[in-house]
Parts: sequence; structure tokens; C-alpha cells
Amino acid sequence: MSDNKEQTFFTALSDAVLDMDEVKVEEIAHRVIKEKIDAYRAIENGLVDGMNRAGQLFEDEEYFIPEILLCSDAMYAGLNILNPYINREQQRTRKKVVIGVVEGDTHDIGKNLVKTLLDAAGFEVVDLGRDVPPAQIVNAAIAEHADVIALSTLMTTTMDGMASVIKILQESGHRDAVKVIVGGGPISQSFADRIGADGYAPSAPAAVKLLHKLFKDSIYA
Amino acid sequence: MNGITPKNRLLDVLNKKATDRAPVICMGGMMNASIVEIMNSTGFTLPAAHDNPDLMASLAGAIQEQTGFENLGVPFCMTVEAELLGSRIDKGTLACEPKIKQEAFGSVGDVIFRDIDEMLESGRIQTVTSATATLSQTHKQLPVVVSMTGPISTAASIINPMAFYKELRKNPANAHRVLEYVTELLIGFAARSVRAGASVIAIGDPSATGEILGPVMFQEYAVRYLNILTEAVHGFGVPVILHICGDINKVRSLIPGLKANAISTDAMVNLQKLKEDFPEITTMGNLSTYSLEWGSPDKISVQTQKLVDDGIDIISPACGLSTSTTLANIRAMTRTVQGE
Repeated sequence: MSDNKEQTFFTALSDAVLDMDEVKVEEIAHRVIKEKIDAYRAIENGLVDGMNRAGQLFEDEEYFIPEILLCSDAMYAGLNILNPYINREQQRTRKKVVIGVVEGDTHDIGKNLVKTLLDAAGFEVVDLGRDVPPAQIVNAAIAEHADVIALSTLMTTTMDGMASVIKILQESGHRDAVKVIVGGGPISQSFADRIGADGYAPSAPAAVKLLHKLFKDSIYA
Repeated sequence: MNGITPKNRLLDVLNKKATDRAPVICMGGMMNASIVEIMNSTGFTLPAAHDNPDLMASLAGAIQEQTGFENLGVPFCMTVEAELLGSRIDKGTLACEPKIKQEAFGSVGDVIFRDIDEMLESGRIQTVTSATATLSQTHKQLPVVVSMTGPISTAASIINPMAFYKELRKNPANAHRVLEYVTELLIGFAARSVRAGASVIAIGDPSATGEILGPVMFQEYAVRYLNILTEAVHGFGVPVILHICGDINKVRSLIPGLKANAISTDAMVNLQKLKEDFPEITTMGNLSTYSLEWGSPDKISVQTQKLVDDGIDIISPACGLSTSTTLANIRAMTRTVQGE
């Protein structure tokens, strides 16, 4: 298989993700398997590349939530097909993020978006869902040996829950083991500083950049 | 008071007539002021007041009396409509507002269209209209504001929101059918509220922000159905306040196309600038609810005075209040506007 031909497949995967075309992604992914193209590289240079381009369009305000969600569906459709074909040695342990929406808030659009983009960026993401009590978030992070707790809220009324998570971490002696990042409509850098979070991200793409910064660009544990 | 009632003052502002000063209100619904402090001192408590019209009226009355907000606002949640349409609701607790436990449908194609008139005779719409009827009789000088959940937010409360947002793009025909259905229910709810004595209808549509939808879909779905609802309410002879969540920058140019009598925004929006750019808009807002919860009365007073000095037409909290906000802080806000 020539590099050129491989690259044609990767580009096609990337474009299909960007075009929100789930069916086309599946079709190309099956052909990648059939042609014995390296699945790991097809994911990295195809699916993830497409999702990163979508994230860029989101930052540029050409794509919005519906588009990103559809791109993400397309990416996951491809991952489902390609993941079983990844070699063992290609699977290094990656940094783990526990993500959730604090109790009291049932909005999870922002959280889902961050999850998708972190997935695409190569982090291992454990999704606790929405409306999660602070203690449960901490327990999950400890049980999962998570490197990061990512919290989102869309409502001012649930911001206290973010502070609780950090307090529980401190009281249980786990604060240094995990980084806490926060985001969502009503959250600001000053709020993040006040509650002692490790970082604040104003948008989903910014959350990815924030983690890259906190971990000095390494997604591996 | 120099002769003008709070009700007339608010209606005058909404009808673009000159008044002595800006009203200071809290619209209810997603932005209600049922703080724990008031509930504990009066014994009129949530979640019981969500279901009981007498308790709902009593709590709304107590909030008005203690905070100094110049209106009565009901209900205290944004789940009335979704519950009626079949979603499972968690009624919450004293300190935590009700929320959708499980949306009724998985996708726009699954929605079962039920008889609207039948639905309007059932559920907590009766609670809200009955409380409205009581309040409009017991507080004749104050406007009763009935807060409703906007079309997109209602639809995203009865259909899994992730699926719903995707289907706005993938399945527009069915998405429009659902939004027409939901909007018709909301119009019926508004009609009954007005008949019960509501002076103003407020709409909060937090799932329909420009940040989520982008300008194209904001125009196609949000503006369209909000305007259908607003014009229907105008047909009942009542003005409409519309609260838009989040940063409106991405849809700024579309705001003048909204037919609501006043536009309320979140704290990050510069309302003075919005007024400058679009003088025809009646602005409402936008005292940070973060300040209201964490700030000192003095700081709140300064921030409120700035809104007044900026010429914001109606002063109100910018978002949903935390139930742990103190009465002293809310009073600092209302008293500043009232010049006390």
C-alpha cells in the first residue's frame, strides 16, 4: 500500500467526519479494514483529524452545536469499526478524564461537547452524565484513578457543587492526585481561581487546549 | 409613590411609554426568586408549591413582599409544559429546582401528537392559572407575570436534547412539526394565563441560544416560533418579555427581528451597547446572579445603580437566582432602583 493511497483514505475519512456523513465514514472504515490499512493511523489521521477540523470550525463560529454533534456521531461510527483492529502495542495508557455535570443541572450539551473533543484529542474519558452529586464525582475519580475531573454547568445555581468537589477532594486527601477543570456558561476564570480549580475553559475546544497545557502536551499517563 | 402603580409602570415601559423610573422585576419561571431564606421564614415552601395553587400564590406573594420586586412571578420552574407533554419530572427539593428526569421521546419522529385542548385542561397549567387568578385579585396594583418555557426549550425537554439538536439539521420537517405542536400548546397556556389575569407573559428559552444554534438555525427555529408565540400573546392584548440566555453576540443582528416587547439578557451582554445599536429594543436585565449570591449589598447597589444610569429599561436579575441568595442582597438591588 503506497503512502499516497493510504493518505487518500485518511483524507476521505477526515472529510466525511467534517461533512457529518456517518454512512460514508462507515463505508470508508470498512474499506480501510479490507485494504489492511493501519487502523490506528486511520483513526489518528482520518477520524480524529476530521473532528479536530470540526472543532476548529466551531471555534471559528462556522459550526455550532448541532453540527459538532453530527460530526461526533460520524467519528464514533468510524471508531466502532476501526478500534478492534488497533494493535496492542499501539495502545498506550492515556490520561484519564472523569467528566460530569454537577448535581442540580440537567443541561449536558456543553459536557457532551467537551467529552467528544477530549475523546478526539486522545484522552480516555469516563462520562458520569448529568446531575451528579459532588461526592459521587470524587468517588468515581478515585476509583478510576483519573488524572482530571472536568466539571461543567450551565446554571449559576449549581456552581456551589463545583466548589464542593474540590473541598471533598481536599478533605479526603486526594486533591493533589487529580487536576480539576471547570467550564460552562456562568463560570469565569475568577470563579475557578476562587474555588481553587486548576483551570478554566470558556469553550469545549479551549478545554482541550487547557489540558494540553496542564499536561505539557502529553496525553499519555 | 407618585400615583403610578407598579403594574402601570411595567406596562408603560413595555408599551414604550415614558415613566418615572425603571421597574425592578423578577419574571419567575426559570428566573424565580424563591430563595431558601424566604421559604423558611414563611413556611410557603417548594417543592409543595409547584403543585398547590394556594401555596404557589402565597409563595409568590411573600417573595414580592419581602424582596421588593415590583411584580408577582409564577410558576417557579420550567417543567410545567414538559410534564404535560409526557416527560418525567423530578420535582426537586426546597433548595433545588425541578428538572426533567426523562424526556418523553427519543427523537422528533417519535413524538405522539395529543389533543392540545385536552392537555390544557390538565396538569400544572391549572395550578399556575389558578394561582394567577388569586394573585391578580389580591394584588391589583402589581403585574402578575406568568413565565413560560420557550418552544425550543420545551421541545428539548420532551425529546432527548442531543437527538433534538441534531435533528434540527437532519430532520427539519419533523422538527418543525414538533415545534408547531409545542408552540400551539404554549399559546393555549398563555391564553389561559391571560384569562386568569396575567398582565405580562415572560418566555425563557435557554436551549435556544445563538451559542448553541448559530445564526442560521436561530433564525429558522428560535426566532420563528418565538415570534409566532409572541404575536399570539399580543392578540390576547398582553405584552411579552423574552429572556435570551448566554452570549447573544453570534445572533446580535437577529435580535431586532424578535417581536417581544422587551429583551432580557444574561450578565455578559452589554445592554447599554445593545440599546445604542438598536434603540428600538426595550432592554431588561441584567444584574449578575453571581454577584447577587456572593456579593455584598454595597457592591450590588453599585452594580444596580450602573444599570439604572445606563438607561436599562427594566432592571432584573440576569439569570436564575441561586436559592441560597440572601434577602439582604436582593433588597439592595430593589431599593437601589427604588431610590431608597
